[in-house]
Amino acid sequence: MSLQNAGENVIVFDNVKFSYSGDEGVYAVNGVSLNVKRGEFLSVIGHNGSGKSTLARLINGLLEADEGRITVLGLDVSEGKNILEIRKHVGIVFQNPDNQMVASIVEDDVAFGPENIGVPREEIGKRIDWALNAVGMQDYRHSTPSKLSGGQKQRIAVAGVMAVRPEIIILDESTAMLDPKGRREVIEVVKKLNKEEGMTVILITHFMEEALLADRTIVMNRGEIVLSGTPEEIFESGEKLETYNLCLPRITEIINKLNSAGMDVQNVLHPEELAQGIIKSLNQKGITNAVSSESKSEVIKSPHEWDIDIRNLTYTYSKKSPFATKALNGVTLHIDEGEFFGIIGHTGSGKSTLVQHLNALIKLPQAEKKHRKDKKGNPGVPPSLTVGEFDLADKKTDFKKLRASVGMVFQYPEYQLFAESVFADVAFGLKNFNKKLTDEEIEKVVRESIEIVGLNYNEVKDKSPFDLSGGQKRRVAIAGVIVTKPHVLILDEPAAGLDPLGKKEIMELLHKLHREWCKTVIIVSHDMDEIAENCTKSAVISHGEVVMCDAPEKLFASADELYKLGLDIPLTSKISEVLKKSGIVINSDCTADDFANKVIGVYEGGTNA
Amino acid sequence: MLNDVIFGQYYPAKSFAHKADPRIKLLALIAYIVALFIANNFYSLVLGLIVLIITVIASRVPIGSVLRSVKAIIILLVFTAVLNLFFHGGDNLLWQWGIIKIYREGVIFTIFFILRLFFLVMGSALLTLTTTPVELTDGIESLLTPLKWIRFPVHELALIMSIALRFIPTLIDETNRIISAQKARGADFESGNIFKRIKAIVPILIPLLISAFRRAEELGDAMDARCYSGSKNRTKYKKLKFGWRDIIVTLLFAGLIAGVVLLNIYANTIFPEIYEYIRLS
Repeated sequence: MSLQNAGENVIVFDNVKFSYSGDEGVYAVNGVSLNVKRGEFLSVIGHNGSGKSTLARLINGLLEADEGRITVLGLDVSEGKNILEIRKHVGIVFQNPDNQMVASIVEDDVAFGPENIGVPREEIGKRIDWALNAVGMQDYRHSTPSKLSGGQKQRIAVAGVMAVRPEIIILDESTAMLDPKGRREVIEVVKKLNKEEGMTVILITHFMEEALLADRTIVMNRGEIVLSGTPEEIFESGEKLETYNLCLPRITEIINKLNSAGMDVQNVLHPEELAQGIIKSLNQKGITNAVSSESKSEVIKSPHEWDIDIRNLTYTYSKKSPFATKALNGVTLHIDEGEFFGIIGHTGSGKSTLVQHLNALIKLPQAEKKHRKDKKGNPGVPPSLTVGEFDLADKKTDFKKLRASVGMVFQYPEYQLFAESVFADVAFGLKNFNKKLTDEEIEKVVRESIEIVGLNYNEVKDKSPFDLSGGQKRRVAIAGVIVTKPHVLILDEPAAGLDPLGKKEIMELLHKLHREWCKTVIIVSHDMDEIAENCTKSAVISHGEVVMCDAPEKLFASADELYKLGLDIPLTSKISEVLKKSGIVINSDCTADDFANKVIGVYEGGTNA
Repeated sequence: MLNDVIFGQYYPAKSFAHKADPRIKLLALIAYIVALFIANNFYSLVLGLIVLIITVIASRVPIGSVLRSVKAIIILLVFTAVLNLFFHGGDNLLWQWGIIKIYREGVIFTIFFILRLFFLVMGSALLTLTTTPVELTDGIESLLTPLKWIRFPVHELALIMSIALRFIPTLIDETNRIISAQKARGADFESGNIFKRIKAIVPILIPLLISAFRRAEELGDAMDARCYSGSKNRTKYKKLKFGWRDIIVTLLFAGLIAGVVLLNIYANTIFPEIYEYIRLS
């Protein structure tokens, strides 16, 4: 059998239909016809439930089509005897890096695929070398996956797939759970495999910025391919995308806005290119320098009743064991009541440890340390932490009351749902904190909580939380926390893993809660755009220390420092940085929309400052 | 942290004992246990102690860590020691209080018994202190290979063990996260009677089970996608190698068994008076 003769098309879908059992008549993939060429880089976008992942699983026979025909490298997927051969040539990297590793040591995990197809021992060794080199993880050959970062784990997963030597690699939302650094790492690897190894790549993603990297993009909606073309073509059809519950990449959003105001800016993908385009367009109008520095961040007037004050907080995991790791190292931070506060830092920086102190999930070390001295022999400042009236260093503090006042939404909170109905789950916290409430009182507050998170109370209250969609589950989980009407609401990566529209909606919800329900909102995030667009003030955490704390526009002005920490800056800051060098000063503490408006303001203002 | 309980055992170092073949270490432990159980006199125990000391030195594990392993069984030790002390018969009565009689033979036997258990636990601890769970799994798989002849699913068993090991840290992290999340919602796991506490576990157990099933499903897909189709036509990358260290280990423990057997026969000829005094009846 010669696979090379399969012709140009390595994957052919011919009018394929598929429905999940129990969902009779609802097609997850509904009449898809698609050709993928050898060496092509194809990106697939679509909202949650649009059928993207089903598509991937149909290609290598994890799912079997109800109708139509799928051929991969000339082999019919519906024939059982072909399946193993097809899987040798089509590798899939899944979403959760933790759930695709079989071994506790990196090289053993990478070896799993080759072992399965009976590759001789010596050859497996060579393949491990090659695959780990290809993903830049050769130094971690003998490490344990559980000690690696998300991005590193996912690169190991890519290596594990590569070691089988497939011709086609599919990434099924493989970057969804990673921080920006991890995402960049994985995408770099994939780009390299496509360019240097000539691999066919199918990238299924929620990140429009990633979709832009492909040769061709297809858009899926309700199991159908609704758009197909080069990324530029796809994103030019702006409004259409919105009807499919998708968003434009931020950069395209800005460009479209500028062009609609008559600025002739080319459709580009890099912030520097866009900045050059803006400069060119302004120069043509004779504008060579300008200042637009109005800032959105209003001064917050608050009674300071619920300020958070952290001093000299240090925390070490697994103390006194060979695995001791210092998570926090003398953190001092003050958060005013009323802020929409952002805590930035990548995985392992200590940000999650920090916020868990705020509602005493991690308790402060006891007073014995008071007399400890620092290197110079001066007595150290004792750690202290107060949230409003609560002194968390005091053992006698009523921690239960504190927890009712400081709500905490963990990452992927929908995974903590447990009760038989949405009502019971939301009421859980309320009943725990206040055992004396009457049923009517409980119902009233639960109803308010479910309604403020944007769900229909009567529709969902008796449903099992597990029957809801992903976005709805997250809303229920948030309702289950805010039900105690906390003064301070902390959310760890509230938008993680959602599709673009879902992200937008969750952030809108948080602003609503900030206005109507809670005094202070604190979000932990590694998405700089999210921070820039939403927060009034932010702290950057690195290696257990607060390295910066300021309003976003000031924070992101020190780009070099952030790069040094391995962090990124928001898109708008990148553009304004380039503009500044040419004498055009535009503050960037804002949404893509506001930023475009400011540029247009300068353009229409028309005169030099 | 739950994590330390399970994986805190392994003491990372690069010693002779760490580098020895896990199969040989497993067999050596079995030999050591056998030697301790066939020993019928204190001289054999001294031999066992010497081997234990050599192993501790060869492992470069601080003695404190080795001794800590005994802590777990201290209650069991005290309990059986007391029983032995009170109910062991003999000829030389030392002390009497009502019906409770303590004989010299009883005291000697109790000391023997405690030492034997002590050495046994420390020997086992040394294995887990110097061998990662992964190496242990590989070792067990390799030692069980002959069972393939009677169609025992050795490969599948080893894979199950390996996956279990791989997911223990993940599930522990997950459990900790769920506990924290429910605590943040006011759940109380520490107070109340037994029924209340069992009921309090539900909000942890259900999310954990759901998550475990979700993970299992995704892992199954990932394994399928990576061409897993059972043990048929499968090769194995990792081969355990028998090296010079293993010859030394083999000699040491073979020597121990031989020594104990010889002492069992000839111990009464070495310092006969002492032997007679501490003889086990």
